[in-house]
Amino acid sequence: MDITFEHVTHIYGQKTPFEKLALDDVSLHIPSGSFTSVIGHTGSGKSTLVQHINGLLKPSKGKITAGDVVIRANEKKQSLKKLREKVGFVFQYPEHQLFEESIIKDVCFGPMNFGVSDSEATKRAEESLNLVGIPASYWHRSPFDLSGGQMRRVAIAGVLAARPQAIILDEPTAGLDPKGRQEMLDLFAELHKRLSMTVIMVTHNMSDAAIYSDQVIVMNDGKPLMIGPPEHVFLQTEQLRRVGLESPETMLFLDKVMAKARKKERIPAFTIDQTADVVIQILNGVKNHV
Amino acid sequence: MEKIIEVSDLSYRYSEEHPYVLKNIHFNVMKGEWLSIVGHNGSGKSTLAKCLNGLIQPQKGTVHVGGYLTSDEAHIWEIRRLVGMVFQNPDNQFVGATVRDDVAFGMENHGVPRDVMIQRLSEALRLVKMDGFAAREPHRLSGGQKQRVAIAGIVALQPMIIILDEATSMLDPEGRKEIIRTVRTLHKERGLTVISITHDLEEAIHSDRLLVMSDGQLIREGAPRELFKSTELLRKVGLDLPFAIKMRQALQKKGISLSDNALFQEELVDELWTLHSSM
Repeated sequence: MDITFEHVTHIYGQKTPFEKLALDDVSLHIPSGSFTSVIGHTGSGKSTLVQHINGLLKPSKGKITAGDVVIRANEKKQSLKKLREKVGFVFQYPEHQLFEESIIKDVCFGPMNFGVSDSEATKRAEESLNLVGIPASYWHRSPFDLSGGQMRRVAIAGVLAARPQAIILDEPTAGLDPKGRQEMLDLFAELHKRLSMTVIMVTHNMSDAAIYSDQVIVMNDGKPLMIGPPEHVFLQTEQLRRVGLESPETMLFLDKVMAKARKKERIPAFTIDQTADVVIQILNGVKNHV
Repeated sequence: MEKIIEVSDLSYRYSEEHPYVLKNIHFNVMKGEWLSIVGHNGSGKSTLAKCLNGLIQPQKGTVHVGGYLTSDEAHIWEIRRLVGMVFQNPDNQFVGATVRDDVAFGMENHGVPRDVMIQRLSEALRLVKMDGFAAREPHRLSGGQKQRVAIAGIVALQPMIIILDEATSMLDPEGRKEIIRTVRTLHKERGLTVISITHDLEEAIHSDRLLVMSDGQLIREGAPRELFKSTELLRKVGLDLPFAIKMRQALQKKGISLSDNALFQEELVDELWTLHSSM
């Protein structure tokens, strides 16, 4: 599902002493089927931006198009429900929102809210639970007996059961241990690939943004500072640093190697394996040169 | 070195119907050291931390803090004053309407006289670099600033030990750095003993000693350099490896002959460079 922002401005607490310009004339495009990461310092407008994509916030000015739904400023909110059905939102710590007595009931809650019949909701819930890897033997247990990582999977299954075309993930790996983090990221890569879902991920982890996304949006002061593929964005170390962001750790490591080798031309590498190749390349290059 | 915490044969379960989540744990903490506790989610790290200041009482075994037994109710307030704890969620630890009130709250509870309180308050806020924020409302601060105020509240009680229970895990990278910087200063300048429960291995490699927890058991303890030689074991219990080690292993796999020594990125770069210059 293509998502487009045209001159979108959002002001919190308009006409109050706490008035704050959170989005400032933002225009951007998120292509259908892409994996887009949104990065930026706390308070840069990342969350405000993504909350517009499923109608949690409405623009103060401008227009948002998501598939065939158009949201304009100063409009009545009749199309918001349609939008929310198409764009799933996984909040930070989504496991805090589990409430039903069984896992299956909890996952059914979402689709039933969108008017899906009992039997259809159950069917979708089962599908979603399979997708996120919760075994059928668990489905009739209480979600509260699960581990943190599993609870998060159940919460995500609840969002998927509405069959959204796009999914927004707000810091989806926060609080998980390294293994849980990796499993969670693999799950999103899988959803993106297998279901061709448009994925929008808000993250503080530069390496995750670099490895998983096709497009990175860098937010600063309510505006996109850069939009582009990670191979481009993460070469702009100085610009990123100026807005309080670091490069992925692989790039920081390469910088240290390059400083020793007195080389300047940076090569993007985000996985450990790619980085090892670049290190070898740098070492050989210097050797040949001498 | 002097022992400041002694944990001896500790076992704990939440109730009789539940299995033990901590099993026969035994270790000491030395005065002035920086100790990190790592382990997968659910390994018992946080439960263990709560045993160290008497927030929970083990069914078996004992915990001594600064010579006091945590099960001895007569000394529980003394123990809580000695051991300050910073929790994961910065929003869950505020009681005061202003930063100043919040830092003063702990001191009031411990009956610190007013004139001493005023002096310690400004000193604590200065130490965490929040002195310009005394009159601000805590909920309007960033996550990193909130955690620094929480630390100031602890510092004001002049503890010997500070426990960080994943205190940086909900913060952005900038906030995370602020906290580590603040605690390092306290560690260095005040000789504060630090116990840090963390998933951040880049932080953990800087500690004096590490404890590895898995399924309620203490499975390894040692200096980071020693401990991270057991890469297979750490992987098996669901832990990640520090960046320099992952990088070194990838290079070794591609035929670069490197020693197993480098723990910090700088060391790996130096080694690569020495190797390369001698080629």
